[in-house]
Amino acid sequence: MSDSDPDISDIDSDTELQRAFSEGRLKVGLNRLKDAVPEPKKAPINNVAGMQQKLKEMQTDLAWIERLDVSVEPTARLETEDDVNDDFKRELIFYHQAQDAVRVAIPRLHKLGVVTKRPEDYFAEMAKPDYHMKKIREKLMEKKTSMERSEAAKKLRAAKKFGKKVQQEVTLARQQQKRELSEAVKKYRKGKANNLDEILDGSAKKNQQPNKKRQHKDRKYGFGGQKKRGKRNTKESVDQGWSKAKPSAARSKGKQKSARPGKTKRTQMKNRKK
Amino acid sequence: MFTKMAKMKRKAHVSDTGSPKNGKAPPKKKGKWTNKTRVLVFSSRGVAYRARHLMQDLRKLMPNSKTESKMDRKDQLMVINEICDMKNCDKCIFFEAKKKEDLYMWVSNVPRGPSCKFLVENVHTMMELKMTGNCLATSRPILSFDKAFDGTAHLKLMKELFIQVFGTPNFHPKSQPFFDRVLTFSLDSDRIFVRHFQIVEEDGSLAEIGPRFALNPIRMFEGSFGGATLYQNPHYVPPNAYRRERRMEASVKYKNRIEHKKGKVRPEKSYSLDPLDDVFATQMEESESE
Repeated sequence: MSDSDPDISDIDSDTELQRAFSEGRLKVGLNRLKDAVPEPKKAPINNVAGMQQKLKEMQTDLAWIERLDVSVEPTARLETEDDVNDDFKRELIFYHQAQDAVRVAIPRLHKLGVVTKRPEDYFAEMAKPDYHMKKIREKLMEKKTSMERSEAAKKLRAAKKFGKKVQQEVTLARQQQKRELSEAVKKYRKGKANNLDEILDGSAKKNQQPNKKRQHKDRKYGFGGQKKRGKRNTKESVDQGWSKAKPSAARSKGKQKSARPGKTKRTQMKNRKK
Repeated sequence: MFTKMAKMKRKAHVSDTGSPKNGKAPPKKKGKWTNKTRVLVFSSRGVAYRARHLMQDLRKLMPNSKTESKMDRKDQLMVINEICDMKNCDKCIFFEAKKKEDLYMWVSNVPRGPSCKFLVENVHTMMELKMTGNCLATSRPILSFDKAFDGTAHLKLMKELFIQVFGTPNFHPKSQPFFDRVLTFSLDSDRIFVRHFQIVEEDGSLAEIGPRFALNPIRMFEGSFGGATLYQNPHYVPPNAYRRERRMEASVKYKNRIEHKKGKVRPEKSYSLDPLDDVFATQMEESESE
């Protein structure tokens, strides 16, 4: 510290330093050489009188319809740190400013007798060409569809999760039922209970049959029972004796129905006509 | 007085256009288009594509704009005054590009000033697909200003400059007679934000057309492209200084990490294990192998 301040003699004691501090010659913090202190920056130029004069020079006495300017108080000002970094909020303020300006300017134009709205059949060059607007529409559509798709996928995922839960519950319930039944049966075996029919009726599924299709298939291809020796003769079949297989009902029906006679019959009929 | 007369005149014109058949004399063309201001819109060489597109958007939207080929960077800015004189322009928007990344915009009232230099930030052009609005190419914009523009002297002057430069003169032959767009100038964090909206419904539904950009004022001069400084923005940080600061920040981060690594002391022992734990380990293995 003694090196940095030339005002204080080399052989300084604590008391001397304390005195210097109380007199205000020493400041808190690092004391540097006076030469090293940078000069304070020049105050930024703000020539108000000059600007006012320039403004007067510049101003023209044109009517409002030539200028079309509107002053609008913004709906909000961004002040906090979060607000300043919130682009969405900022853009919304600009949007509202533009809206307010429109609400002021359009009635004013109407009052001046100016038509503001473009008729439907008025065509003129647009700022953006048709091909560009088409691109914009495509982009919007794409965005919309992609959002829809993601929404649907989300829903599907949720449903899957839910379905899994339901499945678990069902299996748990089944296990519980089984356990109860087996316990009841054990009790019966031990002779504590003697209502077996009730137990079984309550638990077993009543009179359950497979569906119609299965039943039909079972009938057609066979289900259960012995498949061996099915084609062997039995006592009964031997007694029945050999006979021509009976024509099936459908076949005989068909024969009755067919109006077209056989080939030989037809030729005979042809010859007879001749 | 003058404004009142002008208004009356205009009213008469409007009624003329409304019913052209019953008037015997043909409608007078002279006198309708009174404000003959022209704006020269051009740039310096070395302008990046985004800035070039911004310039083209402005040209497209301003029927009273004139074009000029890019100016050499070596030329003095004062030359622009002569160019404007040759092109019969009394306003000028000049884009000055530096380092292919910094864009400055000069807005000037040409023969006598004032002129203002801005740093252009966050440029989005009209060609971006997120800007969904559209408007007539040369309809007259409604200029919407933040109330704060009526406050300090420099903002007042800027407002007047913007009105005269960005506004389209009434009855300009290339302009369209309908109103379907708003150009807004808003103040926020010491910058002027410029947005451009389409008026979809006149009761207030809008769609952004673009371009959008923010202007950071640097200095305002008394003359056109020169002269004494009238105003200097105290909050302005040049882009070079800003980038330098960011680089320094990054380097400090790196240095901090290295220092932190140096300061770390490795412990002499990784784990405090009891050395007696291993006494019987070897015997076990031997017995197993046997």
